[in-house]
Amino acid sequence: MTAYELDDDGVIVIIGSGAGGGTLANELAQRGVKVVLLEAGRHLTAEDFVNDEWGGYEMLSWLDKRTSSGTWRVAKDHPLTPSWSCQVVGGTTTHWSACCYRFIADELRARTVYGDIPGTTLIDWPITLDELNPYYDLAEAKMGVTRTNGLPGLPPNNNFKVMYAGARALGLNVSTGRHAINTIPYDGRPATIQDGFTITGDKTGSRWSTLNVEIPKGLATGKLELRSQARAVLIEHDAAGKASAVVYVDGAGLTHRQKARAVVLAGNCVESSRLLLHSKSARFPDGLANGHGHVGRHYLRHLIQTVWSTFDKPVHMHRGEIMGGMIDDFVRHDPSRGFAGGYYIEMNSMGLPTTAAFMDPGWWGRDFASVIEQYSKMAGIFMSGEDMPQADNRITLTDELDAFGVPVANIHYDDHPNDLKLRSHGYKVLTSIHKAAGAKRSVEAPAYPASHNLGSNRMSARPEDGVLDGHGQAWEVPNLFIADGSNFATGGACNPTLTIVALAIRQADFMAGQMAAGEL
Amino acid sequence: MSAATTAHKDPKLPPPLDLPEGPEWVAALKLFDAHTAETLVAAARTLYPHDGLPERVYRRTVAHFDAMASKAPGAAQAFAEFVDLVDGALPLIFRELSEGYRVQVLKGLEASTAFRLVQRSCVRFLYDDVEVWQAFGYEGASVHLGGYVNRGFNDLDWLPDPPPGV
Repeated sequence: MTAYELDDDGVIVIIGSGAGGGTLANELAQRGVKVVLLEAGRHLTAEDFVNDEWGGYEMLSWLDKRTSSGTWRVAKDHPLTPSWSCQVVGGTTTHWSACCYRFIADELRARTVYGDIPGTTLIDWPITLDELNPYYDLAEAKMGVTRTNGLPGLPPNNNFKVMYAGARALGLNVSTGRHAINTIPYDGRPATIQDGFTITGDKTGSRWSTLNVEIPKGLATGKLELRSQARAVLIEHDAAGKASAVVYVDGAGLTHRQKARAVVLAGNCVESSRLLLHSKSARFPDGLANGHGHVGRHYLRHLIQTVWSTFDKPVHMHRGEIMGGMIDDFVRHDPSRGFAGGYYIEMNSMGLPTTAAFMDPGWWGRDFASVIEQYSKMAGIFMSGEDMPQADNRITLTDELDAFGVPVANIHYDDHPNDLKLRSHGYKVLTSIHKAAGAKRSVEAPAYPASHNLGSNRMSARPEDGVLDGHGQAWEVPNLFIADGSNFATGGACNPTLTIVALAIRQADFMAGQMAAGEL
Repeated sequence: MSAATTAHKDPKLPPPLDLPEGPEWVAALKLFDAHTAETLVAAARTLYPHDGLPERVYRRTVAHFDAMASKAPGAAQAFAEFVDLVDGALPLIFRELSEGYRVQVLKGLEASTAFRLVQRSCVRFLYDDVEVWQAFGYEGASVHLGGYVNRGFNDLDWLPDPPPGV
């Protein structure tokens, strides 16, 4: 196993081993770059995972305390767990449901296309879809995305049959969608056995994750060192203002300082912004890369919600891959609908434990009981839509310190009027699809803790509008990069992982090029 | 029509709590006295009233509360406070109230931290009980049985099958 010295200042240090960090680590290692990958969580294997919703949640989730505020319903329902990501080698790719959709061109030009919407801080991305598409191609190939590269789509399951019947009755364009889940053996990984537990770790490895694909491949190069249970607590800089080291605490509670040629944050939105804000110095009094005050701001979490419906006859939605259904008719900006941006409709299945917990978290009594008793006759349909960036929707540090001496993060989010209009449109469409398939009753479930955390260290065309340039490189600290979804300039509508991976591959190209040119 | 289903917990997880049937179940608890335990069972039944479920699933739910309380003094205090609140709301103690009055008492406490703990913990543990899974048709863990690929993942037969490749 490769092991670098703590005072080796030739290594790239990446914090976080999920979609962004795990992919970047492998991509850099493949290019011959020395990488130390720090992961706060443990290194679990498929053998450790369980087919159990709460068991998996407790095993994989980042459960450190956070606080929340603002008008979003999450602050009421999940005040201390407003955001949902994982603390484990592989990060949230151990949990994701593998939907792989691309941004559309208009979404990357949100400010230009949507216009000046009061209260928002919309910007255009500093990169275009044409620049991103070659990297989407690479990402889809490495992840084995269905309906790309000749790979077949997921077969319809029971929940999809309901979605399909309703959608076709309404004339909508519906398919099982595109997923980084093998339908046939691919890249040494097996086809899905439709076990229905992708979100608790994936015991078979049919779904792409950085745990089962990127990190092993990176380690095989001999250029990558993975350190699990290594909790980054501070990023240091040198006299020239460049990032010089990462201070972290290991599983035994010992503090170390790993020197670095460059530092990449990929700890998911909340943790990356928190580390930047916490890494204050005389030179950077408001935190690293925060000269224009954007670190932590413009936080996005997508307009996510589910409609659960009961039918006369059994559905058994828990059988099989959980999100194998997609409708893209509403993925466009159409001002005639009365709101900006669009949304994907996707299939959604949950087991009884989490359906009960998330259907409406404060709901109790005979009415609730009469609905949840119908679990076996229940179908689920979901949407992921674009929310509007707002300057004060932000991650900040509170006065309370965690066990590592780092301030606990607060997430503030106020719903924008556009968000409410899009949500309402979506609920009506989701319900109409199930009604068209014969639903007896439909329940509008609110958002669960935010799993699409985006935008809080955003890239921008101009330094005064964001934290990073189009390569995810901090405007203010040239050897500091961000590789998680906090680098998104705006949120788009689609599930973010494919784009995080595509951006990480592009970033690896850029960083390796800069290193070869002696500029990094 | 689908055949009857069987619920499975992941074999790696501990087996369900085995409580004695009858009133002596409270002897298996670590912290709660009989009144606390029976009041919480009454609250759980009122919050999530499934007439077809046996008392033992609600008792197992409360046994999980007891385990929480024995690990966290804050939780123990909140459960005790909950019992005091529901008992003090009307001239009869909570356990002796009719369902309609129990609902009235609980509605009046919805804003309290103690209520929230009981309500959320009820959802967390009641619907995670394998006997409840069996009753409501959730089959649970599957990978140790080969997944659902040959066990009905696409057996819904009351709607037309989508065309191949959709």
